[in-house]
Amino acid sequence: MTTSTDTPMVELKGVKKHFGDLEVLKGIDLRVDRGRIISIIGPSGSGKSTLLRSINHLEVIDGGNILLDGMPVNRPDLKGLAFERHINHIRQNMGMVFQHFNLFPHMSTLDNVTLAPRRLKRMQSTDARKLGMELLERVGLADKAKAYPSSLSGGQKQRVAIARALAMQPKVMLFDEATSALDPELVEEVNRVMKGLAEEHMTMLIVTHEMAFARDVSDWTMFMDEGVVVEANTPDRLFSDPDHERTRHFLRKHLGSQG
Amino acid sequence: MEFDFSPVIEYFPTLVQGVGVTLLIGLAVAVMSIVGGQIVAVISLYTRRVVSWPLRFFIWLFMTTPLLLQLYFLYFGLGELILIPAIVVGILGLGFHYMAYNADIFVATIRSVSDGQYEASRSLGFGHIRTLIYIILPQAFYRALPQLSNNMIIMVKDISVLSAIGIGELVYVSQYAISVTFRPFEFYITIAVIYYLINLMMEAGQSWIERRAAYRR
Repeated sequence: MTTSTDTPMVELKGVKKHFGDLEVLKGIDLRVDRGRIISIIGPSGSGKSTLLRSINHLEVIDGGNILLDGMPVNRPDLKGLAFERHINHIRQNMGMVFQHFNLFPHMSTLDNVTLAPRRLKRMQSTDARKLGMELLERVGLADKAKAYPSSLSGGQKQRVAIARALAMQPKVMLFDEATSALDPELVEEVNRVMKGLAEEHMTMLIVTHEMAFARDVSDWTMFMDEGVVVEANTPDRLFSDPDHERTRHFLRKHLGSQG
Repeated sequence: MEFDFSPVIEYFPTLVQGVGVTLLIGLAVAVMSIVGGQIVAVISLYTRRVVSWPLRFFIWLFMTTPLLLQLYFLYFGLGELILIPAIVVGILGLGFHYMAYNADIFVATIRSVSDGQYEASRSLGFGHIRTLIYIILPQAFYRALPQLSNNMIIMVKDISVLSAIGIGELVYVSQYAISVTFRPFEFYITIAVIYYLINLMMEAGQSWIERRAAYRR
Protein backbone atom coordinates (compact mmCIF):
# COMPACT_ATOMS: atom_id res chain seq x y z
CA MET A 1 0.00 0.00 0.00
CA THR A 2 1.24 3.48 -0.87
CA THR A 3 1.88 5.71 2.09
CA SER A 4 3.65 8.63 0.48
CA THR A 5 2.25 11.79 2.01
CA ASP A 6 1.54 13.48 -1.30
CA THR A 7 -0.68 10.63 -2.51
CA PRO A 8 -4.22 11.90 -2.05
CA MET A 9 -6.23 9.83 0.44
CA VAL A 10 -9.18 9.71 -1.92
CA GLU A 11 -9.08 10.58 -5.56
CA LEU A 12 -11.90 10.50 -8.10
CA LYS A 13 -11.25 10.89 -11.80
CA GLY A 14 -14.14 11.31 -14.20
CA VAL A 15 -16.52 9.16 -12.17
CA LYS A 16 -19.73 8.32 -14.01
CA LYS A 17 -22.80 6.48 -12.87
CA HIS A 18 -26.25 6.00 -14.31
CA PHE A 19 -29.39 4.28 -13.13
CA GLY A 20 -31.12 3.16 -16.31
CA ASP A 21 -31.49 6.26 -18.48
CA LEU A 22 -30.81 8.60 -15.61
CA GLU A 23 -27.27 9.91 -15.42
CA VAL A 24 -26.59 10.44 -11.73
CA LEU A 25 -22.89 11.25 -11.87
CA LYS A 26 -21.59 12.95 -15.00
CA GLY A 27 -17.85 12.73 -14.63
CA ILE A 28 -16.84 13.79 -11.13
CA ASP A 29 -13.26 14.73 -10.21
CA LEU A 30 -12.23 15.11 -6.61
CA ARG A 31 -9.03 15.05 -4.63
CA VAL A 32 -9.05 14.65 -0.87
CA ASP A 33 -5.68 15.04 0.82
CA ARG A 34 -4.76 13.39 4.10
CA GLY A 35 -6.44 14.98 7.10
CA ARG A 36 -8.75 17.15 5.00
CA ILE A 37 -12.45 17.49 5.55
CA ILE A 38 -14.63 17.86 2.50
CA SER A 39 -18.32 18.55 2.72
CA ILE A 40 -20.65 17.86 -0.17
CA ILE A 41 -23.89 19.80 -0.35
CA GLY A 42 -26.64 19.97 -2.90
CA PRO A 43 -30.35 19.35 -3.46
CA SER A 44 -31.92 15.89 -3.18
CA GLY A 45 -31.18 13.83 -6.26
CA SER A 46 -28.04 15.80 -7.04
CA GLY A 47 -25.95 12.62 -6.84
CA LYS A 48 -24.05 13.44 -3.64
CA SER A 49 -25.09 10.29 -1.80
CA THR A 50 -24.45 8.15 -4.85
CA LEU A 51 -20.98 9.68 -5.06
CA LEU A 52 -20.19 8.75 -1.48
CA ARG A 53 -21.63 5.25 -1.88
CA SER A 54 -19.55 4.76 -5.02
CA ILE A 55 -16.37 5.42 -3.06
CA ASN A 56 -17.35 2.51 -0.80
CA HIS A 57 -18.37 0.48 -3.86
CA LEU A 58 -21.94 0.20 -2.57
CA GLU A 59 -22.71 1.61 -5.99
CA VAL A 60 -20.73 0.28 -8.91
CA ILE A 61 -19.55 3.10 -11.16
CA ASP A 62 -19.83 2.93 -14.94
CA GLY A 63 -16.80 5.02 -15.79
CA GLY A 64 -13.79 6.77 -14.34
CA ASN A 65 -11.56 5.81 -11.45
CA ILE A 66 -11.70 5.94 -7.68
CA LEU A 67 -8.48 5.61 -5.71
CA LEU A 68 -8.10 5.12 -1.98
CA ASP A 69 -4.60 6.05 -0.88
CA GLY A 70 -3.40 5.22 -4.37
CA MET A 71 -5.23 1.87 -4.56
CA PRO A 72 -7.98 1.53 -7.17
CA VAL A 73 -11.37 0.73 -5.65
CA ASN A 74 -12.81 -0.60 -8.88
CA ARG A 75 -10.94 -3.51 -10.35
CA PRO A 76 -12.78 -4.76 -13.45
CA ASP A 77 -9.87 -7.15 -14.02
CA LEU A 78 -10.68 -9.07 -10.82
CA LYS A 79 -13.57 -11.53 -10.82
CA GLY A 80 -15.49 -13.45 -8.19
CA LEU A 81 -13.63 -14.26 -5.00
CA ALA A 82 -10.52 -12.33 -6.00
CA PHE A 83 -12.63 -9.17 -6.26
CA GLU A 84 -14.40 -9.98 -2.97
CA ARG A 85 -11.04 -10.14 -1.21
CA HIS A 86 -9.92 -6.92 -2.84
CA ILE A 87 -13.05 -4.94 -2.01
CA ASN A 88 -13.23 -6.26 1.56
CA HIS A 89 -9.66 -5.06 2.05
CA ILE A 90 -10.47 -1.64 0.58
CA ARG A 91 -13.60 -1.29 2.71
CA GLN A 92 -11.70 -2.16 5.89
CA ASN A 93 -9.80 1.08 5.32
CA MET A 94 -12.93 3.20 5.05
CA GLY A 95 -15.49 3.92 7.70
CA MET A 96 -19.00 4.53 6.49
CA VAL A 97 -21.79 6.16 8.48
CA PHE A 98 -25.33 5.89 7.15
CA GLN A 99 -28.36 8.13 7.41
CA HIS A 100 -30.37 5.36 9.08
CA PHE A 101 -27.53 4.19 11.36
CA ASN A 102 -27.92 0.51 10.40
CA LEU A 103 -26.75 -0.74 13.76
CA PHE A 104 -27.03 -4.50 14.16
CA PRO A 105 -30.11 -4.89 16.36
CA HIS A 106 -29.25 -8.38 17.57
CA MET A 107 -26.01 -7.27 19.23
CA SER A 108 -25.18 -5.05 22.19
CA THR A 109 -23.61 -1.70 21.33
CA LEU A 110 -20.21 -3.02 22.43
CA ASP A 111 -20.56 -6.04 20.14
CA ASN A 112 -21.63 -3.75 17.31
CA VAL A 113 -18.37 -1.86 17.72
CA THR A 114 -16.08 -4.86 18.22
CA LEU A 115 -17.55 -7.26 15.63
CA ALA A 116 -15.31 -6.17 12.78
CA PRO A 117 -12.00 -6.10 14.71
CA ARG A 118 -12.81 -9.45 16.32
CA ARG A 119 -13.83 -11.20 13.14
CA LEU A 120 -11.75 -9.44 10.51
CA LYS A 121 -8.57 -8.64 12.42
CA ARG A 122 -8.89 -11.66 14.72
CA MET A 123 -8.37 -9.37 17.68
CA GLN A 124 -8.43 -11.13 21.07
CA SER A 125 -11.71 -10.52 22.87
CA THR A 126 -10.05 -8.69 25.79
CA ASP A 127 -8.24 -6.36 23.38
CA ALA A 128 -11.39 -5.89 21.34
CA ARG A 129 -13.34 -5.09 24.48
CA LYS A 130 -10.75 -2.51 25.50
CA LEU A 131 -10.82 -0.92 22.06
CA GLY A 132 -14.63 -1.00 22.01
CA MET A 133 -14.89 0.66 25.41
CA GLU A 134 -12.38 3.34 24.37
CA LEU A 135 -14.41 4.11 21.26
CA LEU A 136 -17.71 4.16 23.15
CA GLU A 137 -16.05 6.46 25.67
CA ARG A 138 -14.99 8.72 22.83
CA VAL A 139 -18.56 9.06 21.59
CA GLY A 140 -19.79 9.45 25.17
CA LEU A 141 -21.64 6.15 25.43
CA ALA A 142 -19.46 3.91 27.58
CA ASP A 143 -22.39 3.48 29.97
CA LYS A 144 -24.46 1.99 27.13
CA ALA A 145 -21.99 -0.80 26.29
CA LYS A 146 -24.40 -3.56 27.26
CA ALA A 147 -27.52 -1.88 25.88
CA TYR A 148 -29.16 -3.05 22.67
CA PRO A 149 -29.74 -0.58 19.83
CA SER A 150 -33.53 -0.71 20.28
CA SER A 151 -33.13 1.04 23.64
CA LEU A 152 -31.06 3.94 22.27
CA SER A 153 -32.18 7.31 20.90
CA GLY A 154 -31.40 8.19 17.28
CA GLY A 155 -28.48 10.38 18.29
CA GLN A 156 -27.04 7.65 20.47
CA LYS A 157 -27.46 5.11 17.68
CA GLN A 158 -25.57 7.30 15.27
CA ARG A 159 -22.76 7.84 17.78
CA VAL A 160 -22.45 4.07 18.20
CA ALA A 161 -22.43 3.73 14.41
CA ILE A 162 -19.54 6.20 14.26
CA ALA A 163 -17.67 4.22 16.94
CA ARG A 164 -18.32 1.04 14.95
CA ALA A 165 -16.92 2.61 11.78
CA LEU A 166 -13.84 3.83 13.69
CA ALA A 167 -13.12 0.39 15.14
CA MET A 168 -11.26 -0.74 12.03
CA GLN A 169 -9.03 2.33 12.25
CA PRO A 170 -10.03 3.57 8.82
CA LYS A 171 -7.99 5.98 6.75
CA VAL A 172 -11.06 7.94 5.77
CA MET A 173 -14.56 8.36 7.15
CA LEU A 174 -17.55 8.73 4.86
CA PHE A 175 -20.68 10.32 6.33
CA ASP A 176 -23.85 9.90 4.28
CA GLU A 177 -26.32 12.44 5.71
CA ALA A 178 -25.47 11.26 9.20
CA THR A 179 -27.88 13.66 10.90
CA SER A 180 -30.74 13.83 8.38
CA ALA A 181 -32.87 11.22 10.13
CA LEU A 182 -32.45 12.76 13.57
CA ASP A 183 -34.76 14.96 15.57
CA PRO A 184 -33.34 18.48 15.59
CA GLU A 185 -32.41 18.35 19.27
CA LEU A 186 -30.28 15.23 18.67
CA VAL A 187 -28.26 16.62 15.77
CA GLU A 188 -25.84 18.51 17.98
CA GLU A 189 -24.53 15.47 19.88
CA VAL A 190 -23.62 13.74 16.60
CA ASN A 191 -22.08 16.92 15.20
CA ARG A 192 -19.96 17.21 18.32
CA VAL A 193 -18.53 13.72 17.76
CA MET A 194 -17.78 14.55 14.14
CA LYS A 195 -16.09 17.79 15.17
CA GLY A 196 -13.97 15.79 17.60
CA LEU A 197 -12.80 13.62 14.71
CA ALA A 198 -12.05 16.72 12.67
CA GLU A 199 -9.85 18.04 15.45
CA GLU A 200 -7.91 14.76 15.38
CA HIS A 201 -7.32 15.30 11.65
CA MET A 202 -9.34 12.36 10.45
CA THR A 203 -9.82 12.54 6.69
CA MET A 204 -13.55 12.95 6.18
CA LEU A 205 -16.05 13.21 3.37
CA ILE A 206 -19.35 14.55 4.63
CA VAL A 207 -22.57 14.59 2.64
CA THR A 208 -24.91 16.84 4.58
CA HIS A 209 -27.93 19.08 4.65
CA GLU A 210 -26.58 20.99 7.64
CA MET A 211 -25.16 24.10 6.02
CA ALA A 212 -23.95 25.67 9.25
CA PHE A 213 -22.13 22.49 10.19
CA ALA A 214 -20.56 22.12 6.75
CA ARG A 215 -19.35 25.69 6.92
CA ASP A 216 -18.01 25.26 10.42
CA VAL A 217 -16.20 21.95 10.11
CA SER A 218 -14.95 21.53 6.57
CA ASP A 219 -11.83 22.73 4.73
CA TRP A 220 -13.47 22.51 1.36
CA THR A 221 -17.07 22.46 0.21
CA MET A 222 -18.47 21.05 -2.99
CA PHE A 223 -21.85 22.04 -4.31
CA MET A 224 -23.38 19.35 -6.53
CA ASP A 225 -26.44 19.55 -8.71
CA GLU A 226 -27.78 17.17 -11.37
CA GLY A 227 -24.72 14.93 -11.30
CA VAL A 228 -22.04 17.59 -11.67
CA VAL A 229 -19.90 19.60 -9.27
CA VAL A 230 -21.24 23.08 -9.88
CA GLU A 231 -18.57 24.68 -7.77
CA ALA A 232 -16.11 23.85 -5.04
CA ASN A 233 -14.35 26.28 -2.77
CA THR A 234 -13.42 27.02 0.81
CA PRO A 235 -16.61 27.06 2.84
CA ASP A 236 -16.23 30.76 3.70
CA ARG A 237 -16.07 31.68 0.06
CA LEU A 238 -18.71 29.23 -1.14
CA PHE A 239 -21.27 30.16 1.48
CA SER A 240 -20.72 33.92 1.43
CA ASP A 241 -19.88 34.60 -2.18
CA PRO A 242 -20.67 31.72 -4.53
CA ASP A 243 -19.74 32.06 -8.20
CA HIS A 244 -22.79 30.37 -9.65
CA GLU A 245 -26.42 31.32 -9.70
CA ARG A 246 -27.47 27.69 -8.98
CA THR A 247 -25.38 27.70 -5.81
CA ARG A 248 -26.82 31.06 -4.75
CA HIS A 249 -30.33 29.83 -5.37
CA PHE A 250 -29.73 26.63 -3.35
CA LEU A 251 -28.10 28.49 -0.47
CA ARG A 252 -30.87 31.10 -0.36
CA LYS A 253 -33.41 28.32 0.08
CA HIS A 254 -31.42 26.46 2.74
CA LEU A 255 -29.79 29.22 4.70
CA GLY A 256 -33.05 31.11 4.66
CA SER A 257 -34.81 28.34 6.57
CA GLN A 258 -31.90 27.80 8.95
CA GLY A 259 -31.30 31.47 9.73
CA MET B 1 -70.57 -46.37 32.02
CA GLU B 2 -67.99 -46.35 34.78
CA PHE B 3 -64.48 -45.04 34.43
CA ASP B 4 -61.68 -47.22 35.69
CA PHE B 5 -58.24 -45.68 35.54
CA SER B 6 -56.39 -48.54 37.19
CA PRO B 7 -55.25 -50.02 33.81
CA VAL B 8 -53.82 -46.59 32.97
CA ILE B 9 -51.84 -46.66 36.19
CA GLU B 10 -50.74 -50.18 35.44
CA TYR B 11 -49.53 -49.20 31.99
CA PHE B 12 -48.17 -45.82 33.05
CA PRO B 13 -44.51 -46.84 32.57
CA THR B 14 -45.38 -47.80 29.00
CA LEU B 15 -47.00 -44.40 28.45
CA VAL B 16 -43.95 -42.64 29.92
CA GLN B 17 -41.81 -44.58 27.47
CA GLY B 18 -44.11 -43.39 24.66
CA VAL B 19 -43.77 -39.78 25.85
CA GLY B 20 -39.99 -40.23 25.85
CA VAL B 21 -40.02 -41.48 22.25
CA THR B 22 -42.35 -38.63 21.21
CA LEU B 23 -40.11 -36.01 22.81
CA LEU B 24 -36.92 -37.50 21.37
CA ILE B 25 -38.40 -37.58 17.88
CA GLY B 26 -39.70 -34.05 18.43
CA LEU B 27 -36.24 -32.81 19.36
CA ALA B 28 -34.57 -34.52 16.42
CA VAL B 29 -37.18 -33.21 13.98
CA ALA B 30 -36.99 -29.69 15.45
CA VAL B 31 -33.20 -29.55 15.02
CA MET B 32 -33.32 -31.07 11.54
CA SER B 33 -36.17 -28.90 10.28
CA ILE B 34 -34.83 -25.62 11.72
CA VAL B 35 -31.21 -26.06 10.66
CA GLY B 36 -32.26 -27.61 7.33
CA GLY B 37 -34.92 -24.95 6.83
CA GLN B 38 -32.31 -22.20 7.08
CA ILE B 39 -30.00 -23.97 4.66
CA VAL B 40 -32.81 -24.55 2.17
CA ALA B 41 -33.89 -20.90 2.48
CA VAL B 42 -30.35 -19.60 1.91
CA ILE B 43 -29.80 -21.87 -1.08
CA SER B 44 -33.12 -21.01 -2.67
CA LEU B 45 -32.47 -17.26 -2.19
CA TYR B 46 -28.81 -16.97 -3.08
CA THR B 47 -27.84 -19.62 -5.61
CA ARG B 48 -28.28 -20.05 -9.32
CA ARG B 49 -31.50 -21.50 -10.70
CA VAL B 50 -29.96 -24.88 -11.47
CA VAL B 51 -29.54 -25.33 -7.74
CA SER B 52 -32.45 -23.36 -6.33
CA TRP B 53 -35.22 -24.60 -8.63
CA PRO B 54 -34.92 -28.31 -7.82
CA LEU B 55 -34.93 -27.28 -4.18
CA ARG B 56 -38.07 -25.21 -4.61
CA PHE B 57 -39.68 -28.18 -6.33
CA PHE B 58 -38.73 -30.33 -3.35
CA ILE B 59 -40.30 -27.85 -0.93
CA TRP B 60 -43.41 -27.61 -3.07
CA LEU B 61 -43.67 -31.42 -3.14
CA PHE B 62 -43.55 -31.68 0.64
CA MET B 63 -46.00 -28.84 1.15
CA THR B 64 -48.64 -30.07 -1.27
CA THR B 65 -48.88 -33.74 -0.29
CA PRO B 66 -50.17 -35.26 2.97
CA LEU B 67 -47.67 -36.19 5.64
CA LEU B 68 -49.11 -39.69 5.92
CA LEU B 69 -48.59 -40.27 2.20
CA GLN B 70 -45.00 -39.05 2.48
CA LEU B 71 -44.36 -41.45 5.34
CA TYR B 72 -45.90 -44.40 3.46
CA PHE B 73 -43.86 -43.47 0.43
CA LEU B 74 -40.60 -43.31 2.40
CA TYR B 75 -41.31 -46.41 4.48
CA PHE B 76 -43.07 -48.82 2.12
CA GLY B 77 -41.99 -47.31 -1.20
CA LEU B 78 -38.32 -46.71 -0.58
CA GLY B 79 -38.37 -49.67 1.82
CA GLU B 80 -38.61 -51.85 -1.29
CA LEU B 81 -35.17 -50.61 -2.33
CA ILE B 82 -33.35 -50.14 0.95
CA LEU B 83 -34.29 -51.18 4.43
CA ILE B 84 -34.45 -48.12 6.69
CA PRO B 85 -35.47 -48.45 10.35
CA ALA B 86 -38.95 -47.04 10.97
CA ILE B 87 -37.70 -44.47 13.47
CA VAL B 88 -35.24 -43.08 10.92
CA VAL B 89 -37.98 -42.91 8.28
CA GLY B 90 -40.22 -41.19 10.81
CA ILE B 91 -37.64 -38.55 11.72
CA LEU B 92 -36.63 -37.98 8.09
CA GLY B 93 -40.25 -37.82 6.91
CA LEU B 94 -41.39 -35.36 9.56
CA GLY B 95 -38.04 -33.55 9.30
CA PHE B 96 -38.38 -32.93 5.56
CA HIS B 97 -42.02 -32.02 5.91
CA TYR B 98 -41.37 -29.33 8.51
CA MET B 99 -38.10 -28.30 6.87
CA ALA B 100 -40.21 -27.22 3.91
CA TYR B 101 -42.55 -25.17 6.12
CA ASN B 102 -39.68 -23.65 8.10
CA ALA B 103 -37.75 -22.82 4.92
CA ASP B 104 -40.77 -20.85 3.75
CA ILE B 105 -40.70 -18.79 6.96
CA PHE B 106 -36.95 -18.20 6.73
CA VAL B 107 -37.20 -17.05 3.11
CA ALA B 108 -39.67 -14.39 4.23
CA THR B 109 -37.72 -13.27 7.30
CA ILE B 110 -34.37 -13.19 5.47
CA ARG B 111 -35.99 -10.95 2.87
CA SER B 112 -37.39 -8.75 5.62
CA VAL B 113 -33.92 -7.82 6.96
CA SER B 114 -33.25 -4.39 5.45
CA ASP B 115 -30.66 -3.76 2.75
CA GLY B 116 -29.10 -1.28 5.15
CA GLN B 117 -28.00 -4.14 7.38
CA TYR B 118 -26.31 -5.84 4.45
CA GLU B 119 -24.63 -2.60 3.37
CA ALA B 120 -23.44 -1.76 6.88
CA SER B 121 -21.80 -5.16 7.19
CA ARG B 122 -20.24 -5.01 3.74
CA SER B 123 -18.97 -1.49 4.38
CA LEU B 124 -17.09 -2.80 7.43
CA GLY B 125 -15.29 -5.22 5.14
CA PHE B 126 -17.29 -8.43 5.66
CA GLY B 127 -17.84 -10.60 2.61
CA HIS B 128 -21.19 -11.87 1.42
CA ILE B 129 -21.08 -15.16 3.33
CA ARG B 130 -19.85 -13.71 6.61
CA THR B 131 -22.52 -11.01 6.33
CA LEU B 132 -25.12 -13.75 6.02
CA ILE B 133 -23.73 -15.66 8.99
CA TYR B 134 -23.12 -12.79 11.42
CA ILE B 135 -25.77 -10.29 10.41
CA ILE B 136 -28.62 -11.52 8.23
CA LEU B 137 -29.34 -15.04 9.49
CA PRO B 138 -29.38 -14.24 13.22
CA GLN B 139 -31.86 -11.42 12.63
CA ALA B 140 -33.95 -13.58 10.32
CA PHE B 141 -33.93 -16.28 12.99
CA TYR B 142 -35.18 -13.96 15.74
CA ARG B 143 -37.91 -12.70 13.46
CA ALA B 144 -38.90 -16.26 12.55
CA LEU B 145 -39.29 -17.38 16.17
CA PRO B 146 -43.04 -16.83 16.64
CA GLN B 147 -44.01 -18.75 13.50
CA LEU B 148 -41.24 -21.27 14.03
CA SER B 149 -42.45 -22.20 17.49
CA ASN B 150 -46.03 -22.46 16.21
CA ASN B 151 -44.81 -24.92 13.61
CA MET B 152 -42.97 -26.91 16.24
CA ILE B 153 -46.07 -27.10 18.43
CA ILE B 154 -48.07 -28.46 15.48
CA MET B 155 -45.21 -30.82 14.66
CA VAL B 156 -45.23 -32.45 18.09
CA LYS B 157 -48.89 -33.35 17.58
CA ASP B 158 -48.09 -34.71 14.12
CA ILE B 159 -45.66 -37.19 15.64
CA SER B 160 -48.75 -39.28 16.43
CA VAL B 161 -49.05 -39.94 12.67
CA LEU B 162 -45.86 -42.01 12.97
CA SER B 163 -47.89 -44.67 14.78
CA ALA B 164 -49.06 -45.63 11.26
CA ILE B 165 -45.60 -47.01 10.49
CA GLY B 166 -45.25 -48.72 13.86
CA ILE B 167 -43.11 -46.27 15.82
CA GLY B 168 -43.59 -46.63 19.58
CA GLU B 169 -44.56 -43.04 20.32
CA LEU B 170 -47.32 -42.02 22.70
CA VAL B 171 -50.37 -42.85 20.57
CA TYR B 172 -48.89 -46.14 19.39
CA VAL B 173 -48.12 -47.43 22.89
CA SER B 174 -51.56 -46.42 24.14
CA GLN B 175 -53.18 -48.28 21.22
CA TYR B 176 -51.27 -51.31 22.41
CA ALA B 177 -52.37 -50.81 26.01
CA ILE B 178 -55.98 -50.38 24.89
CA SER B 179 -55.85 -53.59 22.86
CA VAL B 180 -54.85 -55.43 26.03
CA THR B 181 -57.04 -53.68 28.61
CA PHE B 182 -60.11 -52.67 26.52
CA ARG B 183 -60.27 -49.26 28.25
CA PRO B 184 -60.04 -46.85 25.27
CA PHE B 185 -61.74 -43.88 26.98
CA GLU B 186 -59.44 -43.80 29.96
CA PHE B 187 -56.33 -44.04 27.82
CA TYR B 188 -57.47 -41.47 25.25
CA ILE B 189 -58.35 -39.03 28.02
CA THR B 190 -54.97 -39.61 29.63
CA ILE B 191 -52.93 -39.07 26.48
CA ALA B 192 -55.04 -36.02 25.61
CA VAL B 193 -54.04 -34.58 28.99
CA ILE B 194 -50.40 -35.53 28.37
CA TYR B 195 -50.46 -33.74 24.97
CA TYR B 196 -52.07 -30.76 26.62
CA LEU B 197 -49.28 -30.64 29.21
CA ILE B 198 -46.57 -30.97 26.54
CA ASN B 199 -48.21 -28.09 24.69
CA LEU B 200 -48.39 -26.02 27.82
CA MET B 201 -44.66 -26.52 28.36
CA MET B 202 -43.87 -25.64 24.77
CA GLU B 203 -45.96 -22.49 24.94
CA ALA B 204 -44.15 -21.45 28.10
CA GLY B 205 -40.84 -22.10 26.35
CA GLN B 206 -42.05 -20.14 23.33
CA SER B 207 -42.96 -17.05 25.32
CA TRP B 208 -39.69 -17.26 27.27
CA ILE B 209 -37.66 -17.37 24.05
CA GLU B 210 -39.71 -14.58 22.50
CA ARG B 211 -39.30 -12.35 25.52
CA ARG B 212 -35.56 -12.81 25.28
CA ALA B 213 -35.55 -12.20 21.54
CA ALA B 214 -37.91 -9.22 21.46
CA TYR B 215 -35.36 -6.48 22.04
CA ARG B 216 -32.98 -7.98 19.50
CA ARG B 217 -35.31 -7.47 16.58
